[in-house]
Amino acid sequence: MAEMYAVSNNNFMNIRKKSLLDDMKTFLFQNERRISLERAILFTKSHKQTEGEPQIIRRAKATAYILDHVKISIRPGELLVGNRTVRPRSGILSPEMDPYWIMKEMDTIHDRPQDAFYFTEADKRVYREQLLPYWSGRSMKDFINGKIPKNAQKAVDDLVIKLNQTDKGQGHIIMDFQAILNHGVGYYIDLLSRKSAAQPENNFFISAKVIFEAMARHFLRYRKEALQKAKSTEITEARKVELLEMADMCKRLSSQKPQSFYEALQLLWMTSIVGQYESNASSLSLGRMDQYLYPFYKKSVEEGVPGAFIREVLGDFYVKTNDVVLLRSRESAKCFAGFPTGYTVALGGLDQYGQSSVNELSYLMLDLYHSIRLPQPNLSVRINELIPRRFLNKTCETIRLGTGIPQIFNDEVIIPGFLSKGVSLDDARDYAVVGCVETTIPGKTYGLHDIALFNFLRIMEISLYELRDRDDLTFDQLVAYLLKRIDGYVKDVTIGSDIVDLAHREFAPIPFLSALVEDCIDNGKDITEGGARYNFSGVQGIGEANLADSLFVIKKLVFEQHEMKFSELVDALEADFEGKYKNLQNHVIHDFDKYGNDNPEIDMIAAKIFRHYALELGKYRNIRGGEFNAGAYTVSAHIPLGEDVGATPDGRKAHDQLADGGLSPMVGRDRLGPTAVLKSVSKIDNVLCVNGSLLNLKFQPSTLQGSSGIHKFADFLMAFTKLKIRHVQFNVQSRDTLFDAQKHPENYAGLIVRVAGYSAFFVDLNKKIQDDIIARCEHVL
Amino acid sequence: MTRGLVFNIQRYSIHDGTGIRTIVFLKGCPLKCPWCSNPESQGPVRPSVWMKDGAEEPLGKWMSVDEVLHEVEKDEIFYRTSNGGVTLSGGEVLMQADFAAELLKEVKALGISTAIETTGALPLKQIRKVLPYTDQVLFDLKIMDPDKARQIIGEKISTIKQNFEEALNSPAHVIPRIPLIPGYTTPPENLRQIRDYVTGLGIKEIHILPFHQYGSGKYEYLKRSYRLKDTPLLKQEEVNTVKAFFESAQIKTVVSGLE
Repeated sequence: MAEMYAVSNNNFMNIRKKSLLDDMKTFLFQNERRISLERAILFTKSHKQTEGEPQIIRRAKATAYILDHVKISIRPGELLVGNRTVRPRSGILSPEMDPYWIMKEMDTIHDRPQDAFYFTEADKRVYREQLLPYWSGRSMKDFINGKIPKNAQKAVDDLVIKLNQTDKGQGHIIMDFQAILNHGVGYYIDLLSRKSAAQPENNFFISAKVIFEAMARHFLRYRKEALQKAKSTEITEARKVELLEMADMCKRLSSQKPQSFYEALQLLWMTSIVGQYESNASSLSLGRMDQYLYPFYKKSVEEGVPGAFIREVLGDFYVKTNDVVLLRSRESAKCFAGFPTGYTVALGGLDQYGQSSVNELSYLMLDLYHSIRLPQPNLSVRINELIPRRFLNKTCETIRLGTGIPQIFNDEVIIPGFLSKGVSLDDARDYAVVGCVETTIPGKTYGLHDIALFNFLRIMEISLYELRDRDDLTFDQLVAYLLKRIDGYVKDVTIGSDIVDLAHREFAPIPFLSALVEDCIDNGKDITEGGARYNFSGVQGIGEANLADSLFVIKKLVFEQHEMKFSELVDALEADFEGKYKNLQNHVIHDFDKYGNDNPEIDMIAAKIFRHYALELGKYRNIRGGEFNAGAYTVSAHIPLGEDVGATPDGRKAHDQLADGGLSPMVGRDRLGPTAVLKSVSKIDNVLCVNGSLLNLKFQPSTLQGSSGIHKFADFLMAFTKLKIRHVQFNVQSRDTLFDAQKHPENYAGLIVRVAGYSAFFVDLNKKIQDDIIARCEHVL
Repeated sequence: MTRGLVFNIQRYSIHDGTGIRTIVFLKGCPLKCPWCSNPESQGPVRPSVWMKDGAEEPLGKWMSVDEVLHEVEKDEIFYRTSNGGVTLSGGEVLMQADFAAELLKEVKALGISTAIETTGALPLKQIRKVLPYTDQVLFDLKIMDPDKARQIIGEKISTIKQNFEEALNSPAHVIPRIPLIPGYTTPPENLRQIRDYVTGLGIKEIHILPFHQYGSGKYEYLKRSYRLKDTPLLKQEEVNTVKAFFESAQIKTVVSGLE
């Protein structure tokens, strides 16, 4: 039987003589991005028909309604079907979550500075006249606004905390892809039918079943579409063969489990798309693709499937992950700039035996990236002491491409972190990445990884002003006061997060996704009700570097060197270092060491405060009984969060950005190169950043030159591994960066240029030479 | 305790010896190479100053062996994963041979790789002090014609050769390094002399370092004129020609320290 199958497909797999991946890429990006109201209209239509039914059932029916009625198409050349919109890269509104924000931005969204979308006048009218009136007063946002208690609201108004996911699906979840690939759609329909028959009053089972059945029908719609297309006279004979096979495959996958690598990828993609229709969420990430797809890959290779076909279909999958983009509000787009849709993939890492799990597919997935080079999927490599050198070198060669992909996660820190939070050893070793840098246990976790941002530096600012008349204070008293303030805001942020958590339970259960998260079916509960095995909430502490730098300056300037009184320093901050305080700004920037230079005195300030924060946060339990976990990353939020903070003692002017990344030093303050940065970052106990952390490092491309450049870079990463730093990503300097360094040398103090035995920082060189290096840089990249 | 005059400690150096290294730059050099990219280190072992951005900045700091050790140990974890270590450079390391020897001895005792970068321009007794504690010697070979060498850079070729051969006879791994300075070291006759010399001694690997202008800003800080300020960089083909020239004599030729 297996043999027959392979033979019958041979024709189909060999028929494409030339890869069409470039054409598929071009097709995605040829038109401007638009807003599509299709999902919103269908969702609303269904909702109007289900008044009075339980919310979870209404949402399931709405999702099913979308799957049955949304326009579908098969894009030129694609081998995998399933698109969220006929027009690629459309922004989807979900007014059931928050119908209001778009009203304020409707007329500016097409030319806003970050992530613009075109919104047609006709659609604007439909939105204003039909969608807004229906959802006003009955959206999730209305629920949240009415529920936030005074204290938590004050923390928001104080600009200390920002609550996320109040206007869209929760996301940041990895479904149990291994399970659906091993069982197929039909299995879930049967299982849920049986469960439902045994417990007819359980709405979760009913709802999940409704969507799985719709998913099966959705596959059949694509079958019909493929057959239709195959009849067209405008296509080649070869394409016709492909389309007929795609039609057959859709039929099979509507009930059966996949039998090949190709079918597994198709089911994986369709599962992801159904999840998108259900919640329109950010970051329904892909998890450990090289692990759960490996058995299918191996089988297909053994059956003689041509390598070129495997690459083509996996390449198609890569391209498709760029077809889905997220429509965010202006403010949110600033924090999450440039469409981090979150098709994040973790490659390699330890397996359940504690051995390296790197396999041929891990290599292929990195290798394929070299020819595709799109922002998604966002590849990550899990590093550990046992990583094969060959794979580490391949990773380094990929980083050398200069796109920042892959990012690196360290098993030696992340696994103990999860163990400290009560995760089993097997599960901890199976962790993967969601969103950008958050880590989760795939298929078992509802982790609210991106629930809130917590601005340390703003709390420091508030504290300094509150204490400004207290010239009698000691440094230790100041720090104690700050920690107490942090404790207060920690409490507020947990309350605020819980409201958002509750809002998603009341308004946005996601039964389809929940059925693919372990323990939900056993518990008979949606993840929003606490059905998952692990139930975290993650809050990102931001501004560590600036905080440590500022406290160090205060300590030295005011308390040890007695150069000025505490109150005077606060006056200088209030004056934003203007007027008579101009020299002070220079003084604090240049004459005091900063975080990022391997100076334990400063690094330990950051370490102590972060530890205090993480332990305090860990005392709280969310409404699902899970722990609050600390994170330390900003994505791009260091810019808007900086806008919320006035001048600070580290010499930062009012509203300037904060340190990027999360654990990175403040831009331009690290003077000693990348090893010193790693040493500083390692002082912060990275095990405590269970929710995620982010470190950016910049490298000159020439440092990665040749095989010894790659080897030394790999050695550097092994030191990173031993230093127990959780995450790092590399910005291999481009020409543009060097131009910027030329214009703003103050931001690039630590940028070392390629020298043999000579002390040369880029900023120390005169313009002519800088021009030379920039010119050379052109052919390096 | 012996103290050394250090004018810079540079971490994460990957072009000067095996692995990831920290370079300790020692102040003082008897030579006057016109292309020197660390001109602040020329002259006697004595602290000095330059003017940078309108402010006077001290050059050189007296440090004990322990103080330097404390600094270089900061990157120990990187040496361990990369078989890297500490390189002493200058200036001319041999000007402070006693200090260098003591420091190298301590570093080596920790099992960390040691290297020196030298011009070999001092009497033999100096290099003999450091060689027992040195794993790698990066040895500059510049101008081979005795008269020109004396006139242009102030070195005595016979001394250089003695030092070089002394290093070769020690357990240290010696790599000749040739700065490619247009008009000075690049004339074919000079390169031929270098090649003949090293092949005669059985050398299998050299490094060539194409001319760069990285040091020119420093001349401004020092208010000194820089003779090579208008010298153009070598073209890639010119570098390749030199590389091919050495490789034709079965010498592995690495450009800029990275293969």
